[in-house]
Amino acid sequence: MKKTFRSTALTFAALTLSMSMLNTASAADVAIGAAFPMSGDNAEYGQIFSSGANLAVEHINADKKLSGKLTIVYEDSQATPAQGVIAANKLINVSKVPFMLSAFTGVSKAVAPVGARTKTVMVNGGGVGPDLAMLGDYFWNTIPLANFEVRVIAPYLVKEKGLKKVALIYVDDPLGQSILKELSTELSKIGGELVGSFSIPTTTQQFSGVAARVRDVKPDVVYFATYGNQEVQLIKQLRDNGITQPMASYSAVDIPSVQALPEAKGIYYTSQQINWDKPDAITKRMITDYQAKYNKKPNTYVVNYYNSVLVFGELAAALEKAGKPITGENLLAQRKATPNFEFVGSTVSFENDGTIKAPIQIMQVAGDGTGTLLVPGK
Amino acid sequence: MLVIQLIFNGLQTGALYALIAAGFSLIFGMTRVFHAAHGATFTLAGYAFYEMYSVAHLGWPLAALTAVVAAGVFGVLLDRWVYAIIQRHEGSFFTVFAASFGVAIVVQNVIAMAFGRGLVTISTPLSKSVELAPGLFIAPMMAITILAALICFAVLQYLLTKTNLGIALRALGENPVLIEVYGLTQRKLSQYAFLIGSVLVVPAAILTAATSGLNPSMSHHVMLISLAATIVGGVGSLRGAALAGMLLGMAENLCLAVIDPQWSEAVTFIILFLFILFRPGGVYGRAITS
Repeated sequence: MKKTFRSTALTFAALTLSMSMLNTASAADVAIGAAFPMSGDNAEYGQIFSSGANLAVEHINADKKLSGKLTIVYEDSQATPAQGVIAANKLINVSKVPFMLSAFTGVSKAVAPVGARTKTVMVNGGGVGPDLAMLGDYFWNTIPLANFEVRVIAPYLVKEKGLKKVALIYVDDPLGQSILKELSTELSKIGGELVGSFSIPTTTQQFSGVAARVRDVKPDVVYFATYGNQEVQLIKQLRDNGITQPMASYSAVDIPSVQALPEAKGIYYTSQQINWDKPDAITKRMITDYQAKYNKKPNTYVVNYYNSVLVFGELAAALEKAGKPITGENLLAQRKATPNFEFVGSTVSFENDGTIKAPIQIMQVAGDGTGTLLVPGK
Repeated sequence: MLVIQLIFNGLQTGALYALIAAGFSLIFGMTRVFHAAHGATFTLAGYAFYEMYSVAHLGWPLAALTAVVAAGVFGVLLDRWVYAIIQRHEGSFFTVFAASFGVAIVVQNVIAMAFGRGLVTISTPLSKSVELAPGLFIAPMMAITILAALICFAVLQYLLTKTNLGIALRALGENPVLIEVYGLTQRKLSQYAFLIGSVLVVPAAILTAATSGLNPSMSHHVMLISLAATIVGGVGSLRGAALAGMLLGMAENLCLAVIDPQWSEAVTFIILFLFILFRPGGVYGRAITS
């Protein structure tokens, strides 16, 4: 019995030692985290976001930009704040990442205090709630926020298209509430009118009743602020239930399931402008490799998360060169010391509030899986 | 006109909820298995129809038949290979529930891998509304949904009251031990209950695919409706499930005449809580514990 115990203990000790040696062998490797929705109604976004981030990791490793290998640890946020905080805590406390990717306004607002407390850099490339510009030094955005989008599309609808009476359907979360606030303010400035605003819970799937309420206020245009599967359901059911007026929305429309939906044809939407023809090596490589790997063109979300990981690569490489450890604090200091970053499609600089500014373009869903450019960004 | 429109919308939603809840209520009422994978059956049937109709372009009768086969086979196999094994080893009610819940998650992920995580819809002119009167929009799909619910419940009523199988199934729900005295086997009857209950979900799955679309994670919502309708209607009562489905659908829509859409789902739960507090047996229910 004693012998059996001893041999078991020895085996356990040997296994533990070999595991720790394995860890030591890859001590120079760097892991970053990502809290994306990998399941649930918004999992489509998780797939899109991770495809961009993964490609950037491949490129950074292929270029041997860092002394060790870069990897991403994914945690499922399910696009809910509560699950997002669990994911962030796990990434920071268990995986010990100094830098993590975040997405969705509600999730980002929930995880930002965790990042600020633990001095972990969090970068959002998908959520567009204007509040995301006010989450402290450790929260950065590589996507222009929705207030800029609303300020571009509202004058277009009212002045260019003569669609003055706007009905808003918005999801009852920080994003939807911020769009309601922004749209009300913006419309009153330019002679438009918010004739009705209808909030919906994130879980609603039946919209025939909402369509009846919207028809009742007789709008010229229906603006909706929701995302993911709910967005697709909303568009289809509004059209099926007699909403013939033009519809408009923000950059969340730029996902395959909306672009391919026949009922979505003609929807006006805003998105950040990316110069796909920028003649630099970074842009060309990203587009070529993405198309080769996924057999489709990258969209703005893919580019944003590719850029987010590129930012980490640049900053971490600079820190390694200076002999400094890759910590959240050092990454922040290095970002502040870096005037410009070469992104896919543009050269950008971060504002003091951790956001970037990019031109916003107005697009229209073509109905064949693509968007048509109506007004280029300025 | 808004109220009339909401009444019609409520009828359609209610009929759909009744169809969704009927299968779960039948299975739970007859076998006492908390079939958490009922939502997965719904999703599976919907995607089977979508694949055959929209992707393979085989026409709706063949697509519907495929959905029926997929749902029926899934239900029966689940009963035979999962629930029966757990029950044979005297697994508790919660063990069966946990297994069923696990299967639902597996199915959800398999569907996501096969079809993607985005929403898929079936485009049909039947879901497009036409203005019958000023401000009143009705789609042919509304009539189809109500008709499908009426047919399903009529057939089910006939099956359960006029056929030997139906009487045996009801007896299984009443006293599973006593039926053995009459030479019937619980196991075999349980499989019939799963077969019928699973197939019952097919019309709702097809109609949902055509009206609001399908996504892999929709099974939770289906279960929520099934559970609410079963409790409100009374456990084991199909008549109750139908009535409760209709009540919940109507309430969810009619409340929009006075409150913001944000609160419409809450109305379902308020009704549920009121029933749990004041009439725990449901409309037509009976005690489920001896």
